[in-house]
This record gives sequence, structure tokens and C-alpha cells, in this order.
Amino acid sequence: MHGLLNSLTCVVLAALLALVAPLAHAESAKITKITKGQTKTKSEANSAKALARAAAKPSVKASAKAAKTKISSKRRAVQLAASAALAAPAREAWGGNAEARLIDIYKLVGQANSRDALAQAESLVKDHPNFQLAQLVYGDLLAGRARPIRVLGDVPDTTALSGAQKLAELRQESQQRLRALRERPEAGLVPSHFLALSPRVKHAIAVDASRSRLYLFENTTNGLKLLADYYISVGKSGIEKSLEGDLRTPLGVYFVTGNLDPKQLKDFYGSGALPINYPNQLDVKRGKTGSGIWLHGTPPQQFSRAPQATDGCVVLANPDLERIIKTVEVRSTPVVIAQSLKWVAPQTVRADSKPFEDALSSWNAAKTSGDITRLMSWYTADFTSYGKTLTEWKPAMATEVKQLAGREVQLKDVSFMRWTDSADTMVVTFGELVQGAKSGTTKRQYWTRQGSQWKIFFEGVI
Amino acid sequence: MFKSPSFSRQPALGDSTSGRLSLSGVVRVMSSAAVVAICLVTALSPTVALADDYADVNVLVRAGKLAEALTKADQYLVGKPRDPQMRFIKGVIQTEAAKPMDAIATFTQITQDYPELPEPYNNLAVLYAGQGQFDKARAALEMAIRTNPSYATAHENLGDVYAKLASQAYSKALQLDGANTGVQPKLALIRTLFAPDAKGQKPTPAPPASTKPVAAPVTPPVAVAPPTPAATPQPAPPAPAATSGAEKEVTAVVRAWADAWSEKDIDTYLASYGANFDTPGSQSRNAWEADRRARILGKSRISVKLSNLSVVVQGSKAVAKFKQDYSANSLNVSSRKTLDLAKVGERWVIVKESTGS
Repeated sequence: MHGLLNSLTCVVLAALLALVAPLAHAESAKITKITKGQTKTKSEANSAKALARAAAKPSVKASAKAAKTKISSKRRAVQLAASAALAAPAREAWGGNAEARLIDIYKLVGQANSRDALAQAESLVKDHPNFQLAQLVYGDLLAGRARPIRVLGDVPDTTALSGAQKLAELRQESQQRLRALRERPEAGLVPSHFLALSPRVKHAIAVDASRSRLYLFENTTNGLKLLADYYISVGKSGIEKSLEGDLRTPLGVYFVTGNLDPKQLKDFYGSGALPINYPNQLDVKRGKTGSGIWLHGTPPQQFSRAPQATDGCVVLANPDLERIIKTVEVRSTPVVIAQSLKWVAPQTVRADSKPFEDALSSWNAAKTSGDITRLMSWYTADFTSYGKTLTEWKPAMATEVKQLAGREVQLKDVSFMRWTDSADTMVVTFGELVQGAKSGTTKRQYWTRQGSQWKIFFEGVI
Repeated sequence: MFKSPSFSRQPALGDSTSGRLSLSGVVRVMSSAAVVAICLVTALSPTVALADDYADVNVLVRAGKLAEALTKADQYLVGKPRDPQMRFIKGVIQTEAAKPMDAIATFTQITQDYPELPEPYNNLAVLYAGQGQFDKARAALEMAIRTNPSYATAHENLGDVYAKLASQAYSKALQLDGANTGVQPKLALIRTLFAPDAKGQKPTPAPPASTKPVAAPVTPPVAVAPPTPAATPQPAPPAPAATSGAEKEVTAVVRAWADAWSEKDIDTYLASYGANFDTPGSQSRNAWEADRRARILGKSRISVKLSNLSVVVQGSKAVAKFKQDYSANSLNVSSRKTLDLAKVGERWVIVKESTGS
């Protein structure tokens, strides 16, 4: 009978690894073998194959480096099993990243090493009992010792019935986590939105809603460097927020506007919150409503939430949010939220930036020239500045230009990010330093492209 | 589903000789390895006397006189404090007497002194499971299997523990609490199965024929001496070619027994067992029947499939060996099984049932 457990183990694995297969191509050969070698019924083998097919999307870019493989020795598993509940594995050796540990478990499953997978799953749920997806995988690995596992979360029927929605959500979460790791950006590429970031901008955040993923960058002298990326949840109704209460997450270029003290927050928000400036000036122009869009954490009973679970906020696991809070700066850190990020080489970005840089220089030259008519030609008819129309705002601008009296206005620390949907928008931040002055003001402009001509539809001091 | 120590009866090493030891059920839980160990430990003592002491205690256990049994066991242990056999019996008594902490202490000490014995680990697991400590139960069972990889009872128990642990993990995953009606029946089912047994209850519909535990043959303990293979039914070369009429009859009885089990036809199933059926552990026939009823009728679905069935008939006795694929609810277990049958009047009935190859 002892052979029973071994053979069952293989079946579990065949099923689970179908989900992991694309992660590590090297293992898929083994997988097929295992499936073939099974004494189980054909239909089971076929369903495992079907799963493998379903999981192997065409755009697969295998990247084993996604999660560092930390395969513990068999001895460790044996020790663990022996002293089971009592043995607390040395945590530092397992790394702090719960998702990486989950992926390691998937990989062990892919390598048909269910013993180590079970031991690591046990340790993971011990450290993060509220990590529901890990509990589900742990349940499968346990159940797999006694019966074949056909799908991720192969729970008994009664359980499946009472937890149907939760189960579906956990499967989605697993899929999204795997997808983000499978379809990783190539090293060195950056999101196409970040055209120019001033050295004053130390970090940048980009969210890819289609992959349920947040990417955290450091802005180094050599350009953007990906520091880490995290699983996130967006609105229950998805993305493209336009109305208050529509349970959607907004898309666009935003900035972190604050860092809320978790002590002042309800448990629901977890270890903190970073509000962003939704609705931004483009949103305002488009008549979008709603407010209070934050990046925040999870309640104590949940390590992570379903891919689509929030009222519009971007929600991260608490340890992940804590790292972001520790890292980023309020006000200067941009947060780009896109349906799907486009990753491009930095040199392409520089080439794309050229026409806009020229426009910005020309606008600056017009301002320095003191020719108000020439300067005003850079502004759109529907321009606003914090509620003022172009006509209302023009006198203030005229005064400002007059005071310059021909002195040059230097633009410092220029950053600009591009947002392209039905319109082409540039979000620009810079410091204006008038020649001879000791200090200047920080301004933000929103530009829109009309044909080949860039024009300003918002300008204001921030 | 879960085998409590007193039900565990298969010879641990799969060695048919140990299955033939004419000790009472409780003792049979011990593997032949244990018996060997006893022989070593007590090499100077007359084995017959030893066996007498074990048998005496077991008779008391069977009669439900647990306090007396414990006193006797303790008296014996004063003279031979390390004796694994009697200490094991003591652990079983403590388990039956609903003193799980004492029983855990007893079995734990045996595992420390005799780490090569799988049975104390198995019984520890049952006790831990009874307390809801499934992680500990799992660890103990994994130790049992490490010491004896073919220990079928431990495998079966471990399957149940895994299923229970999985169910707990699934509940956490899906954030279902105990109050959730969807999972409640399953948990309740497992909890009752993990209870030591249904001994205390009045066996409700027990057939009157088998009320006396006397029927169980407490054969002379002499047989314990050297576990001679003499007692083994000579596995005469299975002759499938010329199957005799008797072999056909036995085959039919065994198949009918498996079918009745699968169909949860409890009366036919129980009727397959003779009045002198050697009930496992120290159970009375009534307790055993009540237990079988609870276990079989408690399943929503049972499937018992037999393969590689071989039958050897010698006069009015027969031995059927086969591979049994058992599946019920979410549990699947394959095991080797041996049924000893005897012809009573015109009928073949099961007189002994053992698991293991």
C-alpha cells in the first residue's frame, strides 16, 4: 500500500504542475512522462493534459529567474516531517517573500517533488496563515497524499459548493500570479509611459491591471531599475474608473499625494495607505468623478485579495505595501496605472521624447520672449488652471511675463510622462527658476497633442 | 475509517506468521518485530508465563474491566518496567479508559525506548487525532511508516489524517468557518470516526446470535513462543487451472462479501462473518458490529474491488488472498488482504480478516 501514496503523489503533481508547466519549460518533459507513466484512467491523464494546454498560453516567455529556486534538501523535508508541528523552520533561510515561496512550491510540484513541496507549503502557511491561496495549495498537497488531485483547489464537493466564489477567486489569483511571472518584462525594458524622470524623482510605480501586478522602480543615474513587483487587486468592476462608486480603478498617470498613518486607519486598510491624485487634470477635464483612490494593504484575515475585489483602490499584501511605503517619496513618486503596460527599451523612449522636448523648449522660449500672444498660442481653448478658464487665467500670466522683463526662465528637474488613450497626453512637472532668483516654483502641466502640435490644457503650481 | 489502536490488527511486517500468533487482538497490534524484541528483552524469562500474563490482562480488557486490567499490567511492570509488550497493552488500556494524556505518555516512552516499533507511533497518532492535533498525528504516522514502510494501518490512518488536514487547509483557504453548514457534516463525521470507538454505546440492532465475546477463540498463548511458520497455512501453489468446487464456493463467498460491503448491505456483510470470527482488538462481537455498521453506513459511497484473488482450500478451512481497492468518500486505499474462512454446516464464513501482504 505504501506504493499507493507515491503513485498518487505523481497524479497530484501532474495536475498542479499543469498550472506551473509554462513557468519552467525544462520540467514540462518530465511532466509529460509522469502523465504517461500513470496507471490512472485515460480521462484523468487527458484532463491533466488539457490543463497543461490551457495554461500554456502562446505568449509564454519562460523565465526561471522569476522566482529564485530555493529547493531545500530532502533531509530538511524529512526532518520537518519527523518533528512536524514542533519544528519551526529557520525563517531567514526561506526568504521573506511569500509569493516567491509559493512559486517555489509550484516548481517543486513541477519537478514531481511533492514531499518538499508539502514541507514548504506547511512552512508557508505557518508563517502566513491568512494566505488563502497558499492554504489551498497546501490542502491540495495534503489531499494529494491520499487521492488524485485534478485541478488547483480540488476541494470536496460540499466545500466547493459553499466556497464556490472564493475558490474561483483563488484560482484567478493563482493564474494572475503565475501569468505575471511567466510574462515578465525583459531585463532593462521600462514602461513606455516614463519618457523623462528628473533625478529628483527617486522612484516610480507602474501598475499593469491585466497582470494584477505593480512594478516598483528606482530612478538611478542609469535610468529606471526594477526593484520589485507585487501582486495587486483592482476594482470589483475592473478598471477605467469614470464615476463615483463605479467600483473601478482609474487608469492614468498619477502621483502619490500622501502617506496615511495606519494607526488612524481601519483594519480594513492593513499596514497603511498611499493616496493618489485621482481625479487628475485629464480626468477632471473629462468630467470623471470619485475620490479617495489609494494604494493600501489588506485586512488581518486576508494576506491578499482577489484580482478584482476593491472599490477602486489598488490593494497589496501588507508586507509588499510596507516595502513600498518605506521606499517611495510622497508627492514626487509617479504612479502609472495601465490596462496593460508596454515595455520598451530606454533608447526608444529618448527618441520618442524628442518632439515633445522641442515643444517644451519652444513654449519656454515664448515665455521668455515676453510676447504674450505667442505664448498664449501654446494653450488650448479649453485650458483650465484650478477652475480658472483661459480667459480668467490670462491676466495673471500676462503679469507674470511682464515681471520677467526678458529674464530667462530656466526649467529644472523636468519630468514628463505620456498617457495615450483616445487622446495623447503628456504630464509634465518642472521647477521654474527665473534668472537671478534664488528659488523658483514647481509647476505641473498637462499637454495634449493636436495633430503634430503639442498644446497645454492645464498649468498650475503644485 | 480511522483505525483506533484496538482495531488495528494486521501483522505489521506483512508476515503471515505474526498474523497467526494466537494472542488476543490487542497484542496482535504489535508487530512480529515487537515480539522479537520482547523475546530479546526477556530472554531469560519463560515465554509461556509471559504470554499468560498478557493474555490475562487482555481477557480483563475484553471484559471491559479496565481498572483491573491496568492494575494487573502495572503489577507486571513493577518487575519488568521496560517490557514493551505490557507497556503497549497499558497504553491501549489507558486509551480505552479515556485517559489520552496517560496513554500518550505511555506510547511516547515506548517510542523513545523502541524507536524501531511502528505501532506505538500509530497509536500516538490516533490519540493526537482524537485531540484534534492532526499535525502531530501526521508526524507520528510518518514515523510509523518510516520504521515500517509496509505498515498498512499507518498508511490508512495517514490517509485520513491527510484528508482531515487538507479539509482544514481548504476551510482556511475558502474562509469557511465551522458554522458553515456546507462543511459541517464532513467534520462531524471525521470527529466521530476519530473517537476511540463506539464501545460505550448499546449496540442497537445486534443479532442475538453473537452477544458473547466468548466466541472469540482465545487460543492457548503457548503459540507466542517462537513465531513458528508451522502455523502458517501452507500457501499451496495457487492452482487456478483446476479450481475445485470448494474453491469456487469460497471465491463466490468472498466476492459476495465485497459486493455487500460496496452496496452497504450491512446485514449480508455481517452475515459473511462466522460466529467465531476473531474480532479485532479487544472488541466484543457487538462492539465490532456496531463499529462496522457505523463505518459502513456512515459513508456516502463505498467501492470495494478485489483483484488477484487466490483461494486455497484445505478441508473445511480456506484462505483467500487478494488485493483490495477500497474507496469511500474521498479516501482511496489499496491493500493486500487475507481472509481465513471456515465451513460451518453448508456455508463458508469468515473467521479471520487481516491486512498486509
